[in-house]
Amino acid sequence: MKIVVAYKWAPNPQDAKVRPDGTVDLSRAKSAVSEYDPVAFELARRLADATGAEVIGLTVGAAAIDTPLARKAALSRGLDRLVLVADDALAGADGTRLAAVLAAAVTAIGEVDVVLAGDSSIDVAEGQVPLTVAGQLGWLGLSRVSSVVADGEGLTVERDLPGGVTVLAVQTPVVLAATADAVVPKVAGMKDILAAAMKPVEVLALADLAVPGAQVSLTTLATARPAGGERQAVLFDAADPATAASQLVGALRQAGAL
Amino acid sequence: MDFGLTDEQELLLGSLDELLERECPESYIADLDLTHQPPTSFRKALNEAGFGSLGFPEEFGGTPCDAVTMVLLAERVCRQGLNNGFGLELLQAMDILEFGSDEQKKEILGLLAAGDVPFALGFTEPGAGSDNSAMSTTAVHYDGMVTFNGTKTLITNALQSKYLLLMAKNPEVEDKRKAISMYLVPMHAQGVTTNRLDKIMWNISDACEIFLDDVTIPESCLVGVKGNGFKQLMRNFEFERLVIAATCLGLAQCAFDDAATYAAQRVQFGQPIGNFQLIQLKLTDMAIKLENIRGFVYKTAWMLDNDVPLKSQGALCKRYSAMAAFEVADEAMQVFGGVGVTVGTRVSRLWRDLRGHRFGGGTDEIMVHIAGRQIVKDHS
Repeated sequence: MKIVVAYKWAPNPQDAKVRPDGTVDLSRAKSAVSEYDPVAFELARRLADATGAEVIGLTVGAAAIDTPLARKAALSRGLDRLVLVADDALAGADGTRLAAVLAAAVTAIGEVDVVLAGDSSIDVAEGQVPLTVAGQLGWLGLSRVSSVVADGEGLTVERDLPGGVTVLAVQTPVVLAATADAVVPKVAGMKDILAAAMKPVEVLALADLAVPGAQVSLTTLATARPAGGERQAVLFDAADPATAASQLVGALRQAGAL
Repeated sequence: MDFGLTDEQELLLGSLDELLERECPESYIADLDLTHQPPTSFRKALNEAGFGSLGFPEEFGGTPCDAVTMVLLAERVCRQGLNNGFGLELLQAMDILEFGSDEQKKEILGLLAAGDVPFALGFTEPGAGSDNSAMSTTAVHYDGMVTFNGTKTLITNALQSKYLLLMAKNPEVEDKRKAISMYLVPMHAQGVTTNRLDKIMWNISDACEIFLDDVTIPESCLVGVKGNGFKQLMRNFEFERLVIAATCLGLAQCAFDDAATYAAQRVQFGQPIGNFQLIQLKLTDMAIKLENIRGFVYKTAWMLDNDVPLKSQGALCKRYSAMAAFEVADEAMQVFGGVGVTVGTRVSRLWRDLRGHRFGGGTDEIMVHIAGRQIVKDHS
């Protein structure tokens, strides 16, 4: 089995500054493996350890994503090897374009059974790339995956949906987007970090990949932070505790908090 | 001169940050401080992530690590507000790895791997601390056995430890330096009793009196060479002083960050108190002290890594770092005003814990004694 972990080398939100108008300034943020992606690394490693599979990291983006630090940061998280597409033609590319390049790279890697990814990236957070990759490849794509284990020829996948947990028998190839809390990722230790420098890295040229031309153009017109909740300041008379509790529960339900 | 981090150091600190955020939040530390409990679960998490065996030789399952990286990690753990002394486990292991028998090595490394504190250092006595030659605890060897009698005091982590790394003297040897040997004594051995001492700081580490009353065990408990105990103990003192200095740096940085944040938020006379120059003066002087401690600690670690003889450097570094770090915490308390002394504030805990480092691991005054002698010798 061959498992690809598609991840993003993204600005670290710890270094972000929120401007007075509510927009986020990431210009001084150092980059790191996007915050939700280590969950995908961990799921992939566990699946590989159970099946003897190979785990291949894959990331695409501008040339700046290919640094020794970026390579080691990914390879120290349980990958067997790394594949990169680093080209300034991808600077500022939208999710659809990045998904097309990821899909082309998955095809170039060949014989991939599972693509695992985080739910969304920490900087853009659109959450559409994994399923767009699935669409590009013509594979089954599942979001909100909380568990994946090998089961005979296929996989048993659990999805954490708003209505409850769904358990599915899935045939490969498949693209899975993990929930942010699917597993607690292992922290990379010194041995992992030192070993990372020894693992193979392959850089694919964008021009050599069969990527459909960019047909979609996207311009962000405006962004706004979510509206803050208004304080209701409702007081309940607690003379009768049972009635007050009932009123509190009713008010919370009405506000959508329960 | 390169002040930047290597890729490996940056990634390792990133991993440690993940672990600290997950396993060691302020609520956890505050609870340990309040209930006087050790950070056992955090230590286990550190070990599981491989941090616990950093610096150990590979043949013992460790990962070699330079002193600069070790102090960076120690500083980062303490910047979280935890008075943990990252790296002291390595010191404990080194005492045994260098001088212990195979059986002792196996036992101690096993305990370290499990996240336990393997031993407390039984050195200080009611009549002997900085003056180690006044030690009166005796070790009498006969017929393959050894009997200990005496009292140790202010022994850190005695209640958490399975063993006591005991320093005791042979009463028949006149030369005080050659009379002391090192022993690994089980805390549960017959005749060993402890009395917990209540103290106002270092709540996550217990401190005890230990009474040794005709404690008789096989002399295979001897660590290293009989009569070389003090030399063996001294061997790792330089690194211990450095780790303490890095601990002070992290705790003081934590106090500074809290004070600066508070100054930016606390409004008096219609504006944040950070706008007042008297507060700015405090914050500026605190920042200068932190920079000085950082430079001292990193340079001393670099000297260790490059086999530059430390001479007085370790003592100078420990003395300055412990004193300056406490001054930073003391000024942080002043910035907080009355809020700082209320129970449960982090700054009050940092202030308490930093005060202890002015005597723990060697007093300010003994550091002068060590460094001063060396300075005069170097210029004679």
